[in-house]
Amino acid sequence: MALHDPVREEELVKAEPAKGSFRVHRDAYRSAEVFQREKELIFGKCWLYLGHDTELQKKGDFHSRRVGGRDLIFIRDKKGEVRAHYNSCTHRAAKVCRERSGNARNFTCPYHGWVFSSEGGLVSQNAQTGYAEGINEDGHLDLRPVERLEEYRGFWFVNYNPNAISLYDYLDGARDQIDALMDHTEGKQIILSGEHTYSIRANYKLLCENSYDGYHLFPVHASYFDYLRDQLAGTPGEGLIDKTLASYNTAGAARALGNGHAVLDSFVPTGRPVAQWLPSMGMGTKAEIEARYDSLVRRLGEERAKYIAETQKNLVIFPNLVINDILSVTVRVIEPESHEKIRVTAWAMGPDDESEELRALRLDNFVSFLGPAGFGSPDDIEMLEICQDAADHTPIEWSEISKGFGRAGDPLYAEGPPDDEVQMQAYWTMWDSVMRRINTLEVK
Amino acid sequence: MNRSEVEDFLYHEAELLDEWQTEAWAALYTEDSLYEVTSPACADPTKADARNTLFLISDRIERIRGRANRLTKKTAHAEYPRSKTRHLITNVRVTGDEGEETKARANFAVYRTKEDTSTVYMGEAFFTLVQTAEGVRIRHKRCILDLNSLYNQGRLTIIL
Ligand code: FES
Ligand SMILES: [Fe+2]
Repeated sequence: MALHDPVREEELVKAEPAKGSFRVHRDAYRSAEVFQREKELIFGKCWLYLGHDTELQKKGDFHSRRVGGRDLIFIRDKKGEVRAHYNSCTHRAAKVCRERSGNARNFTCPYHGWVFSSEGGLVSQNAQTGYAEGINEDGHLDLRPVERLEEYRGFWFVNYNPNAISLYDYLDGARDQIDALMDHTEGKQIILSGEHTYSIRANYKLLCENSYDGYHLFPVHASYFDYLRDQLAGTPGEGLIDKTLASYNTAGAARALGNGHAVLDSFVPTGRPVAQWLPSMGMGTKAEIEARYDSLVRRLGEERAKYIAETQKNLVIFPNLVINDILSVTVRVIEPESHEKIRVTAWAMGPDDESEELRALRLDNFVSFLGPAGFGSPDDIEMLEICQDAADHTPIEWSEISKGFGRAGDPLYAEGPPDDEVQMQAYWTMWDSVMRRINTLEVK
Repeated sequence: MNRSEVEDFLYHEAELLDEWQTEAWAALYTEDSLYEVTSPACADPTKADARNTLFLISDRIERIRGRANRLTKKTAHAEYPRSKTRHLITNVRVTGDEGEETKARANFAVYRTKEDTSTVYMGEAFFTLVQTAEGVRIRHKRCILDLNSLYNQGRLTIIL
């Protein structure tokens, strides 16, 4: 008998509501063959995050990025329009852009010198003779644009299926979460300077699951909470931690938002630069944060203001975008390289109209917990790597993701307490229906 | 301080780290100290300011102590079982000497082995050292990695 006997694709996700059982076959994490199908069906059919509008401030600004295994140039062209071109010369394949980011009017291919404009048009073939007149009349030698490129409130996504449903429809209930984030300020939410790029030896779905998992908080982040307690000892904030955490499992909710997206709403006493001041943040930012809260109430009403200000939100947009609006805001994209290796890129986001002091606090919060050197994320990463390693090297067939399953009718819109697993059940239900072509995500 | 005094001190810091005496390491830092590691993606890491740019690490003394203390625990999962490290410090240069304060630069290579995988963190460190009644202390240490990402290293859970 082999270590892993491969299962049939229709048997990777097994939901039995009557028994309250929801199981995912571990081949979904450990099989290279399943990953090949995912490249075609998940990454070939879903909307994938490319970048944020504010990363392209000036005309000609660009970033070269790999998205769902494809190399793209994300650029604001010289007329101001945002575009995504495949980063490959239409002559004989060379990469036309070898920088990670910059500003360009044109891209000159280093191999034979073809020149492309920022809009993608072929402007020179660097040859006096040999080419027939009008060889590019149909534009096939221009840089190839991605099949679909759409944005929602500054978040640009691509889709490699020309017949895909619109980004707007795809995002479904996740739009409301993006609204809650973008409405933090009367000004503009921007991607801040700098980024974290690192790798993890684990399947991309393990990081999605972890990103909004309320169940893991206490075992995995015990040392972070110890640190918070030490910081607050002897201050007015002392005792707040244990008081808030005691109601962690009852105060918030895990909510599925349609199309496999879901959010974890929870309460953790870290303070939130958006508009929730806590003594640990220092007196210097108190007045500004309170004024920001008043602005939320004025613009959006008391109830929405409270939700935006006080709830920690861990959002996963199917299949690989994470937006954590917690003690700081991070936009984190998970690029799978194989069934067991991912590259993670994470940015910090914040309002362009905040004070230097609040900006500093926001970034300080970020690095205290998040990122590859924080007091939180690395412990998460270790968990993902030991999950992958153990799934790879044991014959156990199933992962049990049943907590809270069976109460709601449609898993894609289920809701449960923060330490349930309804968000993951929604993710896997979507994954299963896309992988089995039940949901093609196409316009009829 | 002259170069060999700076070298002796930096070798001592490296020795504490390789022996995982993290709390003794934290005791080398002044009350107003700052320990930083810029992000490999940073455009201008020598001038960058953690108040407006995302760093990997920017610890004032409370978090330096917190980091040191966390690393003594079994619940710091990322470093359990603990990795082995080796800090190499070379090309030490004294770049300024004013009263109690000495500024210095040094190249470093830190090897980390976790399970069967070894990686290296290489770069240059900028120090502000200060002579106190208790001995030499670190007021500022900024590490700038010669990397474009942590693609090979995965994470940075040791102290550089
Ligand atoms: S491959 Fe680009 S010009 Fe030849
Ligand atoms: Fe976590």
